Amino acid sequence: MLKNYLKIAWRNLLKNKTFSLINIIGLASGLACFILIALYVADELSYDRYHEKANRIYRINSDIVFGGNKLNLAVTSDPMGETLKKDYPQVEAYTRLYNSDGYRMVKKGSQYIREDNVAHADSTLFDVFTIPLIAGEARTALNEPKTVIVSESTAKKYYGTTDVVGKLLETDEHKSTIYKITGVFKDIPHNSHFKLDLVFTMQNLDYQMGNFLSHNFQTYIVLQPGVNYKNFEKNFTQVIDKYVLPQAKQFMNINSMDEFKKAGNRLEYNLIPLTDIHLHSDRRGEMGVNGNIQYVYIFSAVAVFVLLLACINFMNLSTARSSNRAKEVGIRKVLGTERKSLVNQFLTESTLTVFIATVFAIAIVWVTMSWFNDLSGKQLLFFSLFQPQYILFLAALPLVVGLLAGGYPAFFLSSFKPIAVLKGKINAGFKRSALRNVLVVFQFATSIILIVGTIIVYRQLNFIQTKKLGFNKEQVLIVNGTGGLWNKSEAFKEDVSKLAGVSGATFAGYLPVSNSSRNDNTYSTSPVMDSKNGFNMQTWIADYDYFKVMGMEMVKGRAFSKDFGTDTSALIINESLAKILGFKDPVGQKLYTYFQDQSGNKLVTYNIIGVVKDFHFESLRQGIGPLCFRLGKPDWVTAFKVNTSNINDLVKNVEAKWKTYAPSMPFSYQFLDDAFDNMYRVEQRTGKLGLTLAIIAIVIACLGLFGLATYMAEQRIKEIGVRKVLGASVTNLVSMLSKDFLRLVIISTVLAVPLSWWAMNKWLQDFAYRINIGWWVFAAAGVLALLIAVLTVSSQAIKAALTNPVKSLRTE
Amino acid sequence: MIELKHISKWVTIGGKPNFILKDVNATVNEGEFLSIMGPSGSGKSTLLNVIGMLDEFNEGEYRFFHEEVHKMKEKQRSNLYKQYIGFVFQAYHLIDELTVYENIETPLIYQDVKSSERKAMVADILDRFNIVGKKDLFPTQLSGGQQQLVGIARALIARPKLILADEPTGNLNSKQGEEIMNLFKQLNDEGVTIIQVTHSEKNAAYGKRIIHLLDGRIEREE
Ligand SMILES: Nc1ncnc2c1ncn2[C@@H]1O[C@H](COP(=O)(O)OP(=O)(O)OP(=O)(O)O)[C@@H](O)[C@H]1O
Ligand SMILES: [Mg+2]
Repeated sequence: MLKNYLKIAWRNLLKNKTFSLINIIGLASGLACFILIALYVADELSYDRYHEKANRIYRINSDIVFGGNKLNLAVTSDPMGETLKKDYPQVEAYTRLYNSDGYRMVKKGSQYIREDNVAHADSTLFDVFTIPLIAGEARTALNEPKTVIVSESTAKKYYGTTDVVGKLLETDEHKSTIYKITGVFKDIPHNSHFKLDLVFTMQNLDYQMGNFLSHNFQTYIVLQPGVNYKNFEKNFTQVIDKYVLPQAKQFMNINSMDEFKKAGNRLEYNLIPLTDIHLHSDRRGEMGVNGNIQYVYIFSAVAVFVLLLACINFMNLSTARSSNRAKEVGIRKVLGTERKSLVNQFLTESTLTVFIATVFAIAIVWVTMSWFNDLSGKQLLFFSLFQPQYILFLAALPLVVGLLAGGYPAFFLSSFKPIAVLKGKINAGFKRSALRNVLVVFQFATSIILIVGTIIVYRQLNFIQTKKLGFNKEQVLIVNGTGGLWNKSEAFKEDVSKLAGVSGATFAGYLPVSNSSRNDNTYSTSPVMDSKNGFNMQTWIADYDYFKVMGMEMVKGRAFSKDFGTDTSALIINESLAKILGFKDPVGQKLYTYFQDQSGNKLVTYNIIGVVKDFHFESLRQGIGPLCFRLGKPDWVTAFKVNTSNINDLVKNVEAKWKTYAPSMPFSYQFLDDAFDNMYRVEQRTGKLGLTLAIIAIVIACLGLFGLATYMAEQRIKEIGVRKVLGASVTNLVSMLSKDFLRLVIISTVLAVPLSWWAMNKWLQDFAYRINIGWWVFAAAGVLALLIAVLTVSSQAIKAALTNPVKSLRTE
Repeated sequence: MIELKHISKWVTIGGKPNFILKDVNATVNEGEFLSIMGPSGSGKSTLLNVIGMLDEFNEGEYRFFHEEVHKMKEKQRSNLYKQYIGFVFQAYHLIDELTVYENIETPLIYQDVKSSERKAMVADILDRFNIVGKKDLFPTQLSGGQQQLVGIARALIARPKLILADEPTGNLNSKQGEEIMNLFKQLNDEGVTIIQVTHSEKNAAYGKRIIHLLDGRIEREE
């Protein structure tokens, strides 16, 4: 029976080549999108699940509001993990990671190589995470000072073998430290929120341990099976009372939590499940750049919609062509075929179509995989499709989609009454199907929403790129790692600034782009700090020429200057802080802070000497917070203002200079505007992916429209002939044939406008600085959709209108 | 008005030309009433279609008002249909999606006749053909004869100067047929040129001239 169904289904596919092709192309592109995005989403959802205890591991987050400054941290204080383990039996294990150094230079032969994926860890690392060692002993690997474990690929990179336990590894040229390798671990999977190549022991970390008020450690705990983490979080109030408050009293004159809270402050700890970190956490101090659940939702929805659009084409074309099939149904029924077997026949056809489309889709996925990886920033593998779970998915796909696309046409077609069919009554009725109109409207509304979305994402990106930032990001060359030159960093800076094409130079450890250093400090407006006059703000260290090189403007007072010997206690604040402080003339006012050293807490007084015009130092998603500058030499990064059209030559010259200073160190540079663009990579990706999906959606919708128009023209060929003979001009006929479709597109536009406005408005809320959505965006999207629809439909209409009438009117 | 010189039309079947019309010569002047007769398959409909510029020919020359037809543009042709020619088809060719009323009204719409005027004209002709009661029905709801009447009404509504009718009374009873023929005669007397194809000797006799076709040739004229 099935063989018979398949045979007839195959013949029907061949008989209507145009329609089969439209269906297969549409479904194949829809399915390809769907498969690619399914792989993407599956990858996003798989993060950190590879740990055996994955669903019992939690990270401790800290939420602090102090002096009007809000901090959401992915890190917590160093004693926190230990304390929890000691006081609460629910905690099975804890471990900490510390990566505030950012990177390490590791010696290979006579050269140093920069390693970014580094951290210090407690020896309990293996009690929490599943990181298999292929050499060494997990229990003791990080127990000793000056020990390190390395990843498999790192071992191979430096030694050409994984048999490296006991070998020595040297880091950093000047404060050279030798570590003993005590273990080699399997490379951390790519779907992990931390990437680690070198894990140093916590033992010889240069840090004053035991401080509950400094938050610098990623701390993970494993809860006993069955413990509800939300309930466990309630214990943090006890921890605060017992451990944090006593220290706060001692250092900051904070006497009780109530008083602290009354002043509008907040200190809270909470837990986030390990498996939620990648998609749900975007805090300061993350181990890397995380994903975003919002984009997972958006892309999943769009993928489903694109697939749905392709299914709709199938439904519309099948039902539109029903009059052709009606006769077959009538005759079969008269011959005694049951409805059930007719339904089966039609479902076989749709499933076969979808099956063929799936084969094409897999081919498309294969061809576009590397391009999609570029677009999405993933490293998906085509061959991962051949894992058992995906094979099952790919096998189920034609069945599900076949049922979805073919279900309605099957029941519709098989319901025809033979007498009605043979009398030809089905024909007239089905040309104007309300359902089909609804489906076409759905397709076009979806396409228009995608077009609007894409336009708005691109406009926002453009807005970001051209917005006045308060600093000049053009023509600034950043050389990283100049701290490695030690006492020669100043000489290097001077040397480079003498090169032709360089017009300014400054040490610039703090830059107004993310991934640059940040430093949060507590200040007060009076020498005695309490919870009312204390506040937190960014404290950046800047050199004399910093403001000139960065193109920042002073609105009051002056910048640091060599002419004033007193500038070591000078402070330059930004406009936002000036506003918060409310001084009439901030220049000349004083701010106080405490400095901690071996002898205890020391009061330091700063004089405000100038106010710098507000500049964006975080991404435009955030507003401008309070910030101040102190004078210093943050020489780990050096910035040069350049002034040349021949950038390549200049970079070569700078590199040549670098080689004379540090022949064994890698030269690493970047332009400020590129670093700036990096902050919006997610948005840029979204824009590109959205654009692609919008194009695919509109192509699929147009394929459907093209099919319908072709079919309508074919159906109405006799009518067209008659009308021509009655004197209709080509224009008359084309407008008659196109009118109905264009009306549908206009209705789609009307529906799509409020929906896309709502959705994009929501997206824009993420940005503290954003564009206004102009009405023209909707007009443009509507006109674009209309234009494309006109071109699609009218080509068929014109073809029909130009055919010789006698061909269609010849008497049978 | 119509000049056909050595008109031939053929289709190639198995590499050999198969003539549908062969060396047809004819002239039709304004105000004539011409009947075309012949056995089934002799090429009557084809000839009428050629005259109506619906069908192409392979050889010969055809002038319509001294203008060579094969050089005419689509637009000119469409204007002729609009203003000059009314067709009655053997197979009626009504538009299934339109009611009787709308079918008859269509030619007037293409001539940009005002809506109020259209109403009056359609009402008038519905009345004349005795089909007022059917005006809101669709063609599929009519009998063959009724459809034929609507087809004729539609051809006449725009007051064409040339009527091309392919067996206009084939499906009508003899009384209805006679009425239509009388109507044609009356129109002809008013100066309308009529060319009709018919199988009936009696109907052919309404014409002032009869052409007999046989295997695509003009066998004789009377
Ligand atoms: N496009 C075509 N291809 C092949 N043969 C054709 C074509 N058009 C017409 N014929 C043939 O030409 C001949 C004449 O057809 P036509 O329709 O003109 O006949 P008729 O005289 O009107 O017949 P009837 O009285 O049955 O209406 C027929 O044999 C027909 O089969
Ligand atoms: Mg005929």
